[in-house]
Amino acid sequence: MYRYDEFDRDFVSARVAQFRDQVERRLTGEISEDAFKPLRLMNGVYLQLHAYMLRVAIPYGTLSSRQMKMLAHVARKYDRGYGHFTTRQNIQYNWPKLADIPDILEDLASVEMHAIQTSGNCIRNVTADHFAGAAADEVADPRPYAEILRQWSSLHPEFSFLPRKFKIAVTAAENDRAAIQVHDIGLQLKRNEEGEIGFAVHIGGGQGRTPMIAKKIKDFLPEAHLLSYITAIMRVYNLHGRRDNKYKARIKILVHETGTEELAAQIEAEWAHLRESELRLPDADIARITEYFAAPELAVRAEGWTELAAWKKSDPGFASWVARNVRPHRHPDYGMVTISLKPIGGIPGDASADQMEAIADLAEQYSSDEIRVTHEQNLVLPHVALADLEPLYRALQAEGLATANSGLVTDIIACPGLDYCALANARSIPVAQEISERFGDQARQEEIGDLKIKISGCINACGHHHVGHIGILGVEKKGAELYQITLGGSADENTSIGEIVGRGFEPEKVTDAIETIVSTYLSGRSGTDEAFIDYYRRVGAAPFKEALYGDKAEAA
Amino acid sequence: MSTIVWNREGVVEDDRWASNGEESAFVSVDEAMELAATGGSDIGVLVEPADDVSRLEAILDRLAIVALDFPAFNDGRAFSQATLLRDRLGYEGEIRAVGAVLLDQVPFMLRVGIDSVETGHEPTARRLTEMRLPGIDLYYQPSAKPAEPTNTYSWRRRAAG
Repeated sequence: MYRYDEFDRDFVSARVAQFRDQVERRLTGEISEDAFKPLRLMNGVYLQLHAYMLRVAIPYGTLSSRQMKMLAHVARKYDRGYGHFTTRQNIQYNWPKLADIPDILEDLASVEMHAIQTSGNCIRNVTADHFAGAAADEVADPRPYAEILRQWSSLHPEFSFLPRKFKIAVTAAENDRAAIQVHDIGLQLKRNEEGEIGFAVHIGGGQGRTPMIAKKIKDFLPEAHLLSYITAIMRVYNLHGRRDNKYKARIKILVHETGTEELAAQIEAEWAHLRESELRLPDADIARITEYFAAPELAVRAEGWTELAAWKKSDPGFASWVARNVRPHRHPDYGMVTISLKPIGGIPGDASADQMEAIADLAEQYSSDEIRVTHEQNLVLPHVALADLEPLYRALQAEGLATANSGLVTDIIACPGLDYCALANARSIPVAQEISERFGDQARQEEIGDLKIKISGCINACGHHHVGHIGILGVEKKGAELYQITLGGSADENTSIGEIVGRGFEPEKVTDAIETIVSTYLSGRSGTDEAFIDYYRRVGAAPFKEALYGDKAEAA
Repeated sequence: MSTIVWNREGVVEDDRWASNGEESAFVSVDEAMELAATGGSDIGVLVEPADDVSRLEAILDRLAIVALDFPAFNDGRAFSQATLLRDRLGYEGEIRAVGAVLLDQVPFMLRVGIDSVETGHEPTARRLTEMRLPGIDLYYQPSAKPAEPTNTYSWRRRAAG
């Protein structure tokens, strides 16, 4: 893991002092809420429906046990005993007092954490594959590059007042677990024929009210040019991105209106001035950052193979959990464990302070002190010996954290929705909870297989509904909540935007509609090896429309 | 307190380019091009956010000052325009930020090569007058205003002096 040096520590302390000064000026009324807003946003502080909300950065979703314990401490001391892990690998606290926030930031700084640029019209927390550094299929660990981008983008004087927020994601595997094609910039780390590292660069992906899949503008950007090329993209966007309408201000609209080829040419022209500038990355610097992410020393634990087989045989619940929540590690004696934050009927992404502390202890004991946050609002212990899976499972069970549903129908992404959010039109959490209850039976979930449901409480799409196999969007119609359903979305290497299946459903009818969709799939699929998304891609929306709306489907 | 002009040395009194009620001493980019074409010099040009600063390249030696307009605190185009004026065009004269200039942006403005600001925002003017800037002297990226390299990574800088 990256560790702060003196420069980082001094920078973050100075930042806390700076924000303390800004908060004091706000509390004394020296600056108005309007003038304070961009300042607090650059430090992750939102004003929500009921209270201020603080979003803390978890760069590329990587945490140590010590950091997780501090997140628990903040939840307990300054909030109501829990936190909410987000789709951008961050954590949000829903009930802090504004006057306490400088102290919270000081506590976080003591474990090398901050809330810089977790909101506002700037470059946000850089996200990465949550299995980075452990997955068998990656080209190289993408996190050193995410860390370089994190540093370079921090309080960037030229790019802190962009037309709109700006999100960068990095992946290093063909199987894209970082959803790079729905980001403003998506980087796919790869090697060329000479074995050198570089990136395929995609720009202009995004969700919100105008979902778009990113366009590839460079097939191989050598790693030394990462900062110079991204500076070129940012400068062209800062100067030419629309500022007349916040809904048309993301770079995806600039790409769409300018044309991919023309915009790529403008970026290339800008880059020509920058590529040999001081932004060029020396090999030695990349190597030094990469050293921080060296894989932990993992001892040979071959005994796990036979033990695992015996444990699975004697406990079907454990076997289900291993089947769903454990993925192969690049070391054959180890696995990558997903800790589901989606208990049946629970609030997606929430964890209590006690749970966070328990997870921190387990990571220390079983996972080389490392924890990851996934964009699907779960946690990961990336380096667990197969021989330790059984005791880990027992310990997770005791904390209500052993739900065996990774990737299943109850592993739902949901935004906070109208229960918390000032932007929402409809509730998301209760919808997720009801669906989770309805499909909670383990055997039934496994029968249904891989199925991603994603729920947003408004068109801003924080719940990623556009890329859900089944997407649910809450809208407000004549003062009442109504839910539109989309089908066929996906956020992996075959990214697609879901299509609206027909007219919306009242809150009490949503779960029945999902049931109808699932039944249609189960009765139509060619076999258990045809997943929901594959079935949808084969047959299209017609059977679902027929089942949901019958003869009236055409009218919808 | 009314509008002030400020630079690193402090408040500038009786500045010839200070906005004076209705009258602006600045001309537009189009007007500046015309003035320069007819032999004009010592020109103060006001660059709007949508203007292409590279148009000024041919007349840089005729300019006394470039004012960059911040129509609202959240319009950050002038940060790129200042960078281009310094890094790309090599302009060495004065650059001034005018418009919605707020205290917490001033350190960013100085880093992209802006020398002076004009602000009518009272709390901002007071803090600037007291020379109490909220900036951080450690930078994670190079910018137009030269700063010292560090002994860590190539992209880091610290404030000179």
